[in-house]
Amino acid sequence: MDMKRHIPAVAAVLAAASILTASAWANDPEKIEPVRTLGVVYGDGRATENVPLYRLAEPSEELFISAYDIARIFRATRYWNAGARKLVLRVESHSFMLTVDTRVVVVDDEPVLMRIPVSYANGSVMVPLEFVSSILAPITLEQIELDEERLVMTIGSPRYNITSVDFEEGEGGTRAVLTMTEELLYHIDSETPGLLRLKIYGGRLNTLKINATEGLGLFNRVRAEQTGHDAYLFFDVDRSAETFRVEFIGPSTDNRRRLAIHVEKGDLPEIPDVDFAGRRMTEILDDSRRQAGREIVRVAIDPGHGGIDKGRVGPNGLMEKEVNLDIAMRLRDILVSEYGMEVIMTRTEDVLVPLMRRAEIANSEGADIFVSLHCNGWFHPDAGGYETFFLSQAKTEEATRLAMEENASVQFEGNGASPEVLDDLGFMLWDMVQNEFVTESSELAELIQRKLGDAVDIRNRGVKQAGLIVLKGCRMPAVLVESAFLSNPREERLLADRQFREEVARGIAEAIQRYRARSSVPGAGE
Amino acid sequence: MSDTDLGRKIVVVIVILAAVIAASYGIRRWSARDKVEIPGVQEVSDETRSVTLYFAGRDADGLVAETREIPVREGIVNEVKAVMSALLAGPADGDAVSAIPMGTAILQVFWVENTETLYLDFNKGITMGDGSTAEYYTITTIIRTIGANFPQAGRVQLLVEGYPVETLAGHYGVSKPIDIRKWR
Repeated sequence: MDMKRHIPAVAAVLAAASILTASAWANDPEKIEPVRTLGVVYGDGRATENVPLYRLAEPSEELFISAYDIARIFRATRYWNAGARKLVLRVESHSFMLTVDTRVVVVDDEPVLMRIPVSYANGSVMVPLEFVSSILAPITLEQIELDEERLVMTIGSPRYNITSVDFEEGEGGTRAVLTMTEELLYHIDSETPGLLRLKIYGGRLNTLKINATEGLGLFNRVRAEQTGHDAYLFFDVDRSAETFRVEFIGPSTDNRRRLAIHVEKGDLPEIPDVDFAGRRMTEILDDSRRQAGREIVRVAIDPGHGGIDKGRVGPNGLMEKEVNLDIAMRLRDILVSEYGMEVIMTRTEDVLVPLMRRAEIANSEGADIFVSLHCNGWFHPDAGGYETFFLSQAKTEEATRLAMEENASVQFEGNGASPEVLDDLGFMLWDMVQNEFVTESSELAELIQRKLGDAVDIRNRGVKQAGLIVLKGCRMPAVLVESAFLSNPREERLLADRQFREEVARGIAEAIQRYRARSSVPGAGE
Repeated sequence: MSDTDLGRKIVVVIVILAAVIAASYGIRRWSARDKVEIPGVQEVSDETRSVTLYFAGRDADGLVAETREIPVREGIVNEVKAVMSALLAGPADGDAVSAIPMGTAILQVFWVENTETLYLDFNKGITMGDGSTAEYYTITTIIRTIGANFPQAGRVQLLVEGYPVETLAGHYGVSKPIDIRKWR
């Protein structure tokens, strides 16, 4: 009797609960239909198209576009974290992190607030149109115009200030002419044989168009790269080219400026010397200049890690960043006071210096060798010893050329140069910088390893080759020393000991001194 | 009396019917949702496949290969997850060590066929092994294990909680996909 009376109540509760659940699901925007379309007109030759727009929050008039479409339209790379419901769009050199049900968009690490939160429907992240008009458009190089009344978006020709690169055959050589809409500062170097690297400060160019430019005469190929602020042009120059000069041609009738790079086989007649305004410059493409007999005067010392990057922390709490810096200071003192060398430090305090910046410091300060100091770590306390690394040989020139052609053909196929492809190539070129110094780097590594063997009493793990990022891009012989294992309790004690640190520093200093003595013998460098 | 009884019975029947319909609808929605949200859930077959896993010598002196029998799973993504889980579980040989930091878990695996790239998304645990030797072997054991078992994969992109990182612990660049055949 009692039970019977309860049945309707239980059933009613169940029913109510189920209906509630069901209606909750019904509100979930699982499959929604587009309400409008956005006409997209491209300036890069892609066909005009209509992209569906959605309305998600019913009372609101705000229109949403799917992240798939955004990525496609702006050639963005997408990274999706399903757990955190976060989507990162990489457009040009910018990244935009969108989080479902959140109004905050993280733009290159800066949070920006939108009026409407990002949503999720139809298996895609749905982004309010305001993201395009007020966040994306203002910071990308591509000129984006969104007419929210007519729902038409034009992605026009970007605001390029370097509009073309043309090659012209001339007497005794070839010239490359860059056409620019404004006066721009530039820097050119021929550090890598067969490659002229032109950096144009504040330059903006269409990499696709320039990469499609056919080489001519002494220019085998040109490759353009766009970073956030500057443009780079890499001219692959024939080996028979001996000299080059750069000439800036002021505004002409069309108000365009031109920069001409003359590459010639023989001597050039009468050219003014370097002009500091960067207008006119002459250099000689001489590969042998840097070779034998280079005197070692200036040493770059790079104490690994620093700041928030503690590096390895030993079982008793000794921090790698501190050991590295202390050994580096000791090494500096010995090199300066006992051997009369100049020393460049990538850091002298407990700060984090980005990896790429370390090589840059050494390059810009004209260091003759680069020594990075680290402590090792392993998963088992038994591993121990010291070892010295130099960089693995990157791809050979031939392979690079092949890769360049492969990349170029990918671009010619019209599916667009993905930033990744271009970056890969940039990466390779960066890698190659250290290639020229592999022999010298290995010699220096051998010497350090040998001298450390005289100085300390732990296991000699030998000289090794690896793709260590800090050594890439060093335009000088470069090595990385792992003085001992912080994960090994005995070696952690040694690393904490001033005497041991001094011995390590002294061993490395003696090796550098020895290397200097060998290098300054003419012909010994080879 | 019988009228009210009948009326009450009808109400009860209607309410129960409504409850059953609504509940089954709800359940259908739930299960449909499960399928969408958790693509990794699937039946495990009895078939097994032999895979090679790479660990490191405990003195950090080189790689140690071990084989395992793991259940065959459907699709490269599920297979890679299974192989990575086996790798993360560590070696059987007492003289070998796992070269992947403790606490590392594989979160997601993505496969992009036209670029032959596997995206392996780990939790932050993978960044907790410091020292260049540890870092080198972390990358190497993953790359070699993928290379040995998935010949269709040409490249591996390591991700940490969904994002590419410059390095795992400050020494080796992993922001770009790693070419399995060229990694040394």
